[in-house]
Amino acid sequence: MTDNILETKGLTVTFGGLNANDSVNLNVPRGKFVGLIGPNGAGKTTFIDAITGYVPMSAGTATFAGEDIGSLKPHERAERGLVRTFQSLELFEDLSVRDNLLVAAYPTKWYSFILDMLYMTPKDQETEDRVNWALDIMGLTDEADAMPTDLPHGRRKLVGVARALAAKPDLILLDEPAAGLDTAESQKLGQHLREFLDHDMSVFLIDHDMGLVLSVCDYIYVLDFGEIIAEGTPAEVREDPAVKAAYLGAEAGDVQAAAAEAVVGAQSSGGE
Amino acid sequence: MEAFIAAVIAGIGAGGVYAILAVGIVVAFRGSGVINFAHGAVAAYAAYNFDEIREPGRGNIYLPWVDPIPEWGVLQKLRLNNLPVRIHIMEDPPTWLAVFVSLAMAAFIGALMHFLVFRPLRNAPTLAKVIGSVGVFIYLGAVALKNFSNSNRNDAGWWGFDSTSDPYVIPFTDKTMPGSNLWLAGSALVVGGVLYLFFRYSRFGIATRAADENEKGAALLGYSPQLLAGLNWVLSSVLAGIAGIVFLHKTNPSQISLLVVFALAAALIGNLTSVVGATFGGLALGMIASGGVDFFQRDFWGEGVKEWLPADGIRQFVPLIAIIIVLYTRGGKLPVRGSISVGRQPQAPATNNATVGTLGLIGIGLLVSNIFVSKWESALTTSLIFMLFMFSLVVLVGYLGQISLAQWSLGGVAAWTTARLAADGMKIREFDFFANGGPNWPLLLAAIAGVVAAVVVGLLVGLPALRIRGVQLAVVTLAAVVAIEKLVLRNTGLMGEGAASTNPMPVLTIFGSNFGGFNENSNQTDNWKFTVFLIFMVAIVGVLVVNLRRGRIGRRFLAVRANERAAAAAGINVSQTKLLGFGISSAIAGIAGVMFAFKLSQLTSENFAPLIGLGLLAFVYLGGITTVTGAVFGGLLVAGGLNGEILHLHFDGVDQSAINIAGGLLLVVNAIMTNGEGISLVNATAGKEILHGLRRDPIPPDFPSGTETSTADSTVADSLEGAVV
Amino acid sequence: MSSETTDGDRLLDIQNLSSGYSGVPVVRGVNLHVDKGEVVALLGPNGAGKTTTLLTVSGLLKVLDGSVTVLGDPATFGAPHKAARRGLAHVPEDRSLFFGLTVQENLRLGLRGSRSAQAAGYERALELLPALRPLMGRRSGLLSGGEQQMLAMARALVGEPKLLLVDEMSLGLAPIIVERLLPIVRDIANETGAGVLIVEQHVHLALSVCDRAYVMSHGEIVLEGSASELKDRPDLLEASYLGGEVSA
Repeated sequence: MTDNILETKGLTVTFGGLNANDSVNLNVPRGKFVGLIGPNGAGKTTFIDAITGYVPMSAGTATFAGEDIGSLKPHERAERGLVRTFQSLELFEDLSVRDNLLVAAYPTKWYSFILDMLYMTPKDQETEDRVNWALDIMGLTDEADAMPTDLPHGRRKLVGVARALAAKPDLILLDEPAAGLDTAESQKLGQHLREFLDHDMSVFLIDHDMGLVLSVCDYIYVLDFGEIIAEGTPAEVREDPAVKAAYLGAEAGDVQAAAAEAVVGAQSSGGE
Repeated sequence: MEAFIAAVIAGIGAGGVYAILAVGIVVAFRGSGVINFAHGAVAAYAAYNFDEIREPGRGNIYLPWVDPIPEWGVLQKLRLNNLPVRIHIMEDPPTWLAVFVSLAMAAFIGALMHFLVFRPLRNAPTLAKVIGSVGVFIYLGAVALKNFSNSNRNDAGWWGFDSTSDPYVIPFTDKTMPGSNLWLAGSALVVGGVLYLFFRYSRFGIATRAADENEKGAALLGYSPQLLAGLNWVLSSVLAGIAGIVFLHKTNPSQISLLVVFALAAALIGNLTSVVGATFGGLALGMIASGGVDFFQRDFWGEGVKEWLPADGIRQFVPLIAIIIVLYTRGGKLPVRGSISVGRQPQAPATNNATVGTLGLIGIGLLVSNIFVSKWESALTTSLIFMLFMFSLVVLVGYLGQISLAQWSLGGVAAWTTARLAADGMKIREFDFFANGGPNWPLLLAAIAGVVAAVVVGLLVGLPALRIRGVQLAVVTLAAVVAIEKLVLRNTGLMGEGAASTNPMPVLTIFGSNFGGFNENSNQTDNWKFTVFLIFMVAIVGVLVVNLRRGRIGRRFLAVRANERAAAAAGINVSQTKLLGFGISSAIAGIAGVMFAFKLSQLTSENFAPLIGLGLLAFVYLGGITTVTGAVFGGLLVAGGLNGEILHLHFDGVDQSAINIAGGLLLVVNAIMTNGEGISLVNATAGKEILHGLRRDPIPPDFPSGTETSTADSTVADSLEGAVV
Repeated sequence: MSSETTDGDRLLDIQNLSSGYSGVPVVRGVNLHVDKGEVVALLGPNGAGKTTTLLTVSGLLKVLDGSVTVLGDPATFGAPHKAARRGLAHVPEDRSLFFGLTVQENLRLGLRGSRSAQAAGYERALELLPALRPLMGRRSGLLSGGEQQMLAMARALVGEPKLLLVDEMSLGLAPIIVERLLPIVRDIANETGAGVLIVEQHVHLALSVCDRAYVMSHGEIVLEGSASELKDRPDLLEASYLGGEVSA
């Protein structure tokens, strides 16, 4: 049908009666780099949580590679190639960097524990290669045997991304990979992100480092108060007045208009 | 019907005590976020003191410790000043003074618990907190045993009536119950009411509720969360003391410790936060249990059911079911009190070369066994069996991070099942009391069936782990321990005549030779062949567990332990992984239980009593719960094991309760200092860890994401949630 | 009004501060001060380190390098209640309301000082935020987002703080509500002489109430000046928010 690897239609997430995501329609075309931006608290992470199964959708559909994934559990979605990273680190702190990646990379069967206990685990070169590639592309090869807690914050962020890469995603969802990085680290990360597209995957990026998002994405959606308020190419989004207002707050003269809008919005969402 | 109603109503007596205990647990939880497994033990210690001071001609109280300097041997010759333990108050004190002194003792214990145990553990992972309270449990129990002899302390008369006289006619029926039941229920309502008002209206109460919900918010307003916690610990312990004293006329204090299971269930009914809910939850549980026992003891069930459902079993099943229902329906919503951050889990390093250790262990074992023969044989086999058992805890608690207190009970299930299936209705030895009836299976087949039974029960115990985690799971498994003991191990219908006392155990015979622990010739458990057999069992299972850790599944276990959210994102089926862990661990526990049965000629349910399971968890934690080596150390330390035997030889009079006292203390120290890495990892990390323990940052800077935006979305969610109405 | 002040007027003095999480600095080399009666805004894009700075001032995060002096004493890491008792009030980003408590109970916890001082603080807070009066018996978890923010402000104000930190007052609120709430900090500074440090996303609104502002980006202060200076250079502000070179 379409060449969208991810499609959401009317995706709505409700917390206690209010919509954290309100009828979000968003597509990620296969092989493309799509971004989602918005001010603090706009509902960006909620969106990723919803499509990866961490919070329930109240309405709407999410389709991944042609399959409705609405009822799948998080690990089932990950097995199908929909892999996310976390805004907070969420690493396995007791495992070395390499083991963090191997957890995600190695498939297991129900009887694997028996082979493991007998030390007869089959060596899977393809998996090892993939892990090495993920370490390599994130520049972590030298730190593969370190414990994540021994690495600086910025490096740990990269381990999270590498772990997602090792899980062979078809679509990787990056939740603020640049948060907490300094400018240089952030730029370096940006250079690597585009390379992902060369390895049979599509990328969906949330970040509030506008410089990063504008420089790497093919297409950008802008979220505010749970709704998509703008979309387009980076150039279009950068010039969109709604985006500037969302980020910097409206200029004095615009406040009245924005307030009126907010009131109307509140009424319409309250009616549901 | 009338009798049934009467039975239900009569339950308010026990229910009242559950209620007061439950309210104390709620207070401690609100104040500090700790679920105190030792709450019943505090109640018992206060009750013992109350009884001791009223004992005619004595009038003493005992501080909650023992004199570390014994009155014999070298140490005595040094003429060191002994630590004061006993304080003489007055002979035949008035009741109010006895009450006051006992409650003051409880308050003192509460303050000690706060300053010495739970304050240092305030940012520690859940496991360390659970172990801390288990340590207090073991410690207080052993100190009480030492300071107050275990004679019958039932003080029937202190309220002016005992449990049989002063009958009270239950309204609408012609049945009676002890009048004291009304007093117990009344006390519960008074205590509950007073505390409700206190938490509702006093500034201290409001601040406690505030800090419970949001520690950061309270601190920013100028309230010290640790001061609030300390005061609540004192209050909680005083409540425990009240419960212990009012129940003294019904039961021996030693029985009060384990009432904590009912109290935990009642506290959970109150969502761990509601004083009113806990009060009525306790009363309701008492009534349900009493009514349930009456119901299943009815004639219309027929003899079969009556035999298979012992009264105690039904009673103890009530809190288990209540806990599971509460946790299942509210599991996700139960408050997990957020201290501002949680410390890291103990390290669980993979061992890359187990060969040297294994061979060394086998060698040393064989040496000890052959050189010192009979003298240490029994202690050595005890240590080996517990090492084997502790491997199950290494897998489940150490690797997978699921805190189960029930694993030794599963060993019991395996042992009893083996004995039952292998029995043939004949006496095995002359001195056997009972000839257990059974299908006469070959012993090895029966043993395998025993292990399978342990796995089945273990998976049942593990099912709640799919919905709940951390300390809540520990609560369920503690309830399971008591239920398994009463409903399975002491069930004569299920396990045969001897389940109530002792069951004979058939001899383990391999190639026509006796490989069991019991030596028919010496009439002792000193068969060296059994030792050799065990050494190889320990070596084999130990290597399997080491391999598990370094393989794919071990990695997945650690991933689940570290972070379930992230594990799911990495494609791990968390539920399946947890059940696998419970299965493997239960199988190992079952094997250890069967080995324990092989050692003995007679099995008694005392072998698998609840406190033993807690003690074993304690000792493996001491040894190091995350490594096989730690389990080996743990096995050596166990009371009755090799370490105890050596101490016993060199210091006359060191008994098991002394080891438990030391063990309980060490446990707390260990929980604080080494975070459960124990002896096994001390070499690697000692200096760093101890320093870390000493200056553990009051609020370690581990905010969720390390960036200021981390909570942004959830904050919106929260505030949205708040904006509904 | 910031230029010539005596030491007694300096309520908050941050010098060369580095702080962060797990010993890893997120904020580096920050210099900042707040004087009596002054409203200072701390601006910058998400992730810049603004909240980290405030948490360090309160003692919730450790000072890794440099110094933080709050109301005359160094920041006390690990004991935020001490700074609060000295007269620091912090409305954190998550507001840290006690949802299980009523509005009145929340406010009661903020009271400080003698009985008369408590009464005065209570009245002043409710005069500034009269919308809370009819809500006293309601559980704070049931308030709307705007009402919650008002309660968080009121709870900070009833203790009559000498130094007030407000983090992201506008988070999740409609602009019209923010427009109503934000000027309150100006009133407090003017009436009580308290110093106020706000972290704010709504740049234009923030600049309309503050005396001075600092702009942070990637953990460092990249821009500072009086409100009017910054209002005149929207290009600089935009650059620090939307990426691109800040050439000032």
